[in-house]
Amino acid sequence: MKKYLLKRVLTSIFTLLVILLVLFILMQLMPGSPFNDEKLTADQKAALYAKYGLDQPVIIQFFRYVANMLRGDFGVSYNISKNTPISQLIATRLPISIYIGFMAVLVGAVIGLLLGLLAAFKHDTIWDTIATIISVIGVSVPSYVFALALSYQFGFKLRWFPILFSQQQMFQSSVLPSISLSMFTMASIARFTRSEMLEVLGSDYMLLAESKGLSGKTLIFRHALRNALIPIITVLAPLIVDLMTGSLVVEKIFAIPGVGSLLVTAIQSNDYNVVIALSFIYSAMYIGIMLVVDILYGIIDPRIRLAKEGS
Amino acid sequence: MKKKVLAFLCAAVMAIGMTGCGGSQTTGGSGSSKSASGSAKSSSSDLNVMLETPVESLDPQQATDGTSFEVIADYTDGLYQMDADGKAVPALAEKTEVSDDGKTYTFTLKDAKWSNGDAVTANDFVFGWQRAVDPDVASEYSYMLSDIGQIKNAADIIAGKKDKKELGITAVDDKTIKVELNVPVSYFESLMYFPTFYPVNEKFYESVGDKFGTSPDTVLSNGAFVLDDYQPAATSFHLKKNDDYYDSSRVKLAGLNYQVIQDSQQALMNYQTGALDTTLVNGEQVDQVKDDPEFKAIGAGYLWYISPNMDKVKELANKNIRLAMTMALDREAITTDVLKDGSKPTYTAVPMDFATGPDGSDFSADQEKFKDVCRTDASAAADYWKKGLEELGESKLELSMVVDADDAPQKVAAVVQQQLQKALPGLTITLKVEPKKQRVQDMQDGNFQLGLTRWGPDYADPMTYLGMWVTDNSNNYGLWSNSDYDKIIAECTTGKLATDTQGRWDRLYDAEKIVMDDAVIFPLYTQCNAEMVSSKVTGIEYHPVALNRVYKDAVKSE
Repeated sequence: MKKYLLKRVLTSIFTLLVILLVLFILMQLMPGSPFNDEKLTADQKAALYAKYGLDQPVIIQFFRYVANMLRGDFGVSYNISKNTPISQLIATRLPISIYIGFMAVLVGAVIGLLLGLLAAFKHDTIWDTIATIISVIGVSVPSYVFALALSYQFGFKLRWFPILFSQQQMFQSSVLPSISLSMFTMASIARFTRSEMLEVLGSDYMLLAESKGLSGKTLIFRHALRNALIPIITVLAPLIVDLMTGSLVVEKIFAIPGVGSLLVTAIQSNDYNVVIALSFIYSAMYIGIMLVVDILYGIIDPRIRLAKEGS
Repeated sequence: MKKKVLAFLCAAVMAIGMTGCGGSQTTGGSGSSKSASGSAKSSSSDLNVMLETPVESLDPQQATDGTSFEVIADYTDGLYQMDADGKAVPALAEKTEVSDDGKTYTFTLKDAKWSNGDAVTANDFVFGWQRAVDPDVASEYSYMLSDIGQIKNAADIIAGKKDKKELGITAVDDKTIKVELNVPVSYFESLMYFPTFYPVNEKFYESVGDKFGTSPDTVLSNGAFVLDDYQPAATSFHLKKNDDYYDSSRVKLAGLNYQVIQDSQQALMNYQTGALDTTLVNGEQVDQVKDDPEFKAIGAGYLWYISPNMDKVKELANKNIRLAMTMALDREAITTDVLKDGSKPTYTAVPMDFATGPDGSDFSADQEKFKDVCRTDASAAADYWKKGLEELGESKLELSMVVDADDAPQKVAAVVQQQLQKALPGLTITLKVEPKKQRVQDMQDGNFQLGLTRWGPDYADPMTYLGMWVTDNSNNYGLWSNSDYDKIIAECTTGKLATDTQGRWDRLYDAEKIVMDDAVIFPLYTQCNAEMVSSKVTGIEYHPVALNRVYKDAVKSE
């Protein structure tokens, strides 16, 4: 297991370096520069390029960046928040995105799982139909539609929740964005749980377990749900990263100072360092979560653990 | 078992419902002050202000955008400030003496304090101005000191040819500043409210280093308000009234509560719940609110215009073709049917409502002065067009126009395309929609045929526009060149008219006439912002130049 983990971590680091290089090359392909402004003359632009070392060849910029990054220096922002260290920008914003993403995952996964179970157990009844309708709506309606509808109804009309995010009322003001973001997760999880449960419930070993006279609770949680969880986790993992790295539109609608809106603003204004740092962090989170998922598989299903240790 | 699942589901739904009720108790009732505020420090007599974009920089010598300037000026005073009409009136300057040749200014400072208790001294200005021209700081607005302010040695320092210590500003003593100029600058006092010219406390700056301007602890205030809650690129932040401000009896607000909202529908809903005292509304929302007495169209200063590339496109080098195009544009339709935000149709190369002459009149008040060459007249346009095509020996033309990928410019461009194609037979216009940074680069590189662009005034003088069309100016995208024009501009900036206010003013009209007669640009409209301002609030001063909003005299009644 340790050897396996070490191998995975080393591969991850190499992957991240490759991603970083690709990001650097992509930055060069972006149209315009951070300093295209009506009021900047050619001389001033040259001075700014020199100031930030952007006049150097890409490969030198790359190695300098990696060297700085190892010391925890992600560079400074060129225009979103001039000369602010990226680490400071991200340190204040990432926790907010993670918090709202986590709430959304929690709400989405729990309700989705329950809806899926309900649909599977009440297969072919009105409950199943209702759960399916909810899932279809959740998957097909984009999160910003929910965001706008919820803020109009519960924020503006009923005034139950603030329309905008505020750090002083972190929980209340996160409710609407979290729910908006959770709809897709909820619907996907519900659909997967339903189909996986139906498959597991119809399998031979469930028939055997049932005929052994096991109680309902053991049957469901020990045998059925545990087997159905593997594919569900596989679906959930990328959704978690997706939600925790912030959503552009929902962050924009609720004025959430998260990293999703930061990335898009950075791309639009060619703030290279912010784009690189955020993309890099996303990649690292993605790879990290995938690693955790692989370990989780082993915990949930001993067969996978054995297979890996054998190899 | 199935019942248990169902029970759990119900419990979960109820739990979520409960948190909902919890939220309603704290937010529903109070509405106005707390729900949208980003700060625990806010109070009900704070003014709640909506911003479209976050602050880019709180460093007065690094900031370039209107939002940053507004916030910096909330807590910093320069030598001068703007009065309600946008005129320069003394702020920190107790007394100003100008030498007879107009080239030396001596400012005496009032007794004022920074928020750390230090006195505001002459050296703070010297330090701030030296930063503005320091090549290491690379301030984008350094040209305010060199080309526009004509401060001695500024240009050489920016170019790296001289040390910043040689800048023409000296601290005679703690309270006296002497500024030397290359030539007399008639509008020099009005530059003094521009944040690039604001003082910076050197000792404090050295103590915070790179962190300057990134938190309440790393900025100093000498102005009406003090920053007490802020993070870089924050979506909400707060300033409170500065009790140590030398003019604090004038300031009536307890504080300013800024909220960045990028979604216009959310912004309007927040305004309607009372969480905001003022907000921007976009063109589509105007119909919904235009009869509301709280709705106002506020001049934003920007002149939007089409720049034809006369250097690279031979068809556009033809004057008749250009005149045909500018005559074919129906500017009234653009502002009333498309923008709807109060923007004004503009028929002059210098927009209205920002530059006031020696006699107190607006430079561009008369929008008909160039009606021979710039009006909406489809038949005249068709005549010019026919003549132009004959001269070119063509029967049809295909031109492209670069446009920002933003909402308003795209809409305007679509109408312009339609108007031109309808009025000018044989013309096909294709739109090239690009991200703004790319569009600016393309125009600066001369890689365009027609370009829809804008320019905001930097100081209250027509020169902020007319200066662009001299030969080889980097904003002269169309590479137009006219030696007579260059001569007039030189006369008015550094030449014999620099001290003759009235003579200079009249001569600037002549310059503008050359630009218009030659259709160097096709002016479209002067941008207005459609805003909602609560009836409880009075005294917010709006300006199209430099400081877009000033709150020193604002009052909010309960």
